[in-house]
Amino acid sequence: MNALRAEGTTLREALHAEWTKLRTVPSTGWLLLTLIALTVGAGALATAVVKCPASCGEDTTKLSLTGILLGQAAVAVLAVLVMSGEYSNGMIRVTLTAVPRRVTALAAKAIILTGVVLAAGAVSVLGSVLAGRFILPGNGFTKAHGFLALSLGDGPTLRAAAGSVLYLALIALLSLGLATALRDSGASIAVMLGLLYIVPVLSDLGTLDPVWEHRLQRYGPMPAGLAIQATRNLRKLPIGPWPGLGVLAAWAAAALLAGGLLLRLRDA
Amino acid sequence: MSTGTITPYRSGQEPGRDDFPHLLRAEWTKFRTVRGWLISLVAAALLTALAVVALAGVSNGSQNAGAHPAVAIGPGGEAVTDDFYFVHQPLAGNGSITVRVTSLHTELPLTTPAPHIAVPWAKAGIIIKASTRPGSAYAAVMATPAHGVRMQYDYTHDTAGLPGSVSAASPRWLRLTRSGDTITGYDSADGKHWAKIGTASLAGLPPTVQAGLLVTSPTLLVPNNTLSCRGGFCSAGTPAQTFARNSSDAPVATRATAAFDHVSLQGQQTGGAWRGGQIGFPTGVAFICGPGHSCPRTPAGSFKKSGGTFTLAGSGDIAPYVTVADPLGTVLKGSLVGLLTVIALGALFITAEYRRGLIRTTFAASPRRGRVLAAKAIVIGSVTFAAGLAGAAVALPIAERKLRSGGWASSVYPVWSLTSSRGLQIVVGTAGLLAVAAILALSAGAVLRRSAGAIAAVVVLLIVPLILGAVLPQGPADWVLRLTPAAAFGLQQGTPHYSQMTSVCQPINSCFPLAPWEGFGVLCVWAAAALGIAVFLLRRRDA
Repeated sequence: MNALRAEGTTLREALHAEWTKLRTVPSTGWLLLTLIALTVGAGALATAVVKCPASCGEDTTKLSLTGILLGQAAVAVLAVLVMSGEYSNGMIRVTLTAVPRRVTALAAKAIILTGVVLAAGAVSVLGSVLAGRFILPGNGFTKAHGFLALSLGDGPTLRAAAGSVLYLALIALLSLGLATALRDSGASIAVMLGLLYIVPVLSDLGTLDPVWEHRLQRYGPMPAGLAIQATRNLRKLPIGPWPGLGVLAAWAAAALLAGGLLLRLRDA
Repeated sequence: MSTGTITPYRSGQEPGRDDFPHLLRAEWTKFRTVRGWLISLVAAALLTALAVVALAGVSNGSQNAGAHPAVAIGPGGEAVTDDFYFVHQPLAGNGSITVRVTSLHTELPLTTPAPHIAVPWAKAGIIIKASTRPGSAYAAVMATPAHGVRMQYDYTHDTAGLPGSVSAASPRWLRLTRSGDTITGYDSADGKHWAKIGTASLAGLPPTVQAGLLVTSPTLLVPNNTLSCRGGFCSAGTPAQTFARNSSDAPVATRATAAFDHVSLQGQQTGGAWRGGQIGFPTGVAFICGPGHSCPRTPAGSFKKSGGTFTLAGSGDIAPYVTVADPLGTVLKGSLVGLLTVIALGALFITAEYRRGLIRTTFAASPRRGRVLAAKAIVIGSVTFAAGLAGAAVALPIAERKLRSGGWASSVYPVWSLTSSRGLQIVVGTAGLLAVAAILALSAGAVLRRSAGAIAAVVVLLIVPLILGAVLPQGPADWVLRLTPAAAFGLQQGTPHYSQMTSVCQPINSCFPLAPWEGFGVLCVWAAAALGIAVFLLRRRDA
């Protein structure tokens, strides 16, 4: 007979539970497929329409990773549903009964989500880089114009590719933290997408006070995080690649901290 | 023994009516009794106004072209560019001028010899102008390198004539005739068969006007580091690529040289000798040209006459003065915050029913599902339209005032009151944008049944194209902004754009490839298609 354990569930068991929940929900598979299809599809399309004699100033690595702009929306939805999906159907009460240590429950969700997004993100990014490698030379991005085929053996390209996978994972964590704090899936996804997509539109206006423009580009989660994709003219970036990803990591950490605190303090 | 058939129970109550007004009332009751939704609706209006006003507050126009010395005021009171090399004679009363253009060459006057560069809207032709004062009324026919022969008058009007470019093998004959206030333009490929291009009516044209030849070539906006020259030919990339591209694009002055012969001026001539000179901004002086960058020096023009051949060189443009920046249009992007709120509201208006199971009650009460969705669309469309109208109507005048105090000169960046046609277009357009976006989100909600997925799908369709438009090069970006519902953001354009000049038309400057109401039509088509799919699926699927 199993004795009841007073110390509660271990993180390992919580991880197992979260993994079971995530893989048995049909929407997970669809969203990950959407992530891969949007990222690779949009990236391939973006590389297919840019021709070199017309615009040879292109950052080809960044261009082939354009799809991340769209794919991240699927990651945000997945991450929001991992938490607020449970609030909408009452599952959260079962989860917290089984794993009474709420921070453990949140950590288990965060770890499983990160693992899944890293895996699917790696597939998406590899697909995009491969698509760029095959499509770009046909559009005039050849040695004659100073372009080598995209390769992960190239330091900056490797950094951009690996960084893009990390970017997606951080987007997932930021969304998870937000959803933990806000609970409602509609509100969470709206706030998350606003943070992602509206800040860059506003920072790009060009009529703003330059100080404000610079601030939005340095500290907005998407403009800062995507600095990791740049491989050319790094000096002209408002923020460097790794510091930019660091800004996004700070956003994610802050959201998870706020979500974790609220999860501990509030009734489910 | 036989058993009688059992009569099923029937309620003695009158069957309820499911006519459309009742359906509308039911949906309206659902909307107004959810407190969170009412709060969101008010928030959408407030956020729209607040975000627009806040952006206007941090908008900085102090570097801008309010004091642009090359800005002249056109006949309609609008800011215009009127810089060109003019070889002219006075023309008293009615008359006509005819000329043959045999070559038109454009170059980059940075080095000697000057390398060639393509300037699509360089101009070489004839003009009848009220006076030599910049900004005065005119009518002209001219050959251009990439847009064929054009007849243009009073800066904003443009009609196409013969297509094709000019060469010695295929010259262009041009003619302008004046009769009272009416000027008619003609063109011909051989000087014998003439075709009328159009007529211009220039009210208040003085009895004696200046008639003659013109050559001009506008400044090109070249993205940073993309100008490359090889073997006497230069090319530049399409403006593109970086966030905040305004600061990375550099204006480059160009010069056009054209040869004319068969010059004939008929009428009661009072001058006799051809005189050449620069109209508008004097050459060789640098001036501030736009946000963050200065315009290059205008290269000197010249005039040579040998025998019957006139050779002119000139720089500048005769066109509306269009600024790179559109401060009002860009601060109106603040309405995206309100837009996001109504997208969430539209999706939740149906997904919440799925989550709570209310949808089964709704369909039991009104089994005709298409009508239920129509009622929902009308209710959510109306309330979000009202919220958008209120938000934009409050925001516009305050934002205008803040822009003036932020240094955006009203001589160059026009002020639109709520009652002006463009002001009305902005306010009603913003409200319509919110309403149709909410209906699109409602349809997405009916198809996907999940709020997170529906909201994300609509945001990706409607808002992300704005970002893609800034990341992709001009050509593909234009297609993205023609085909996606984001085309509707053209309704928020604050300064008009003209097709008869090369201006950088980018979404960050509120310039969209489609005309404002056409773009709104694209959004409506998307919403109608989504609504159709939603009705189809609602009927087919179990609730």
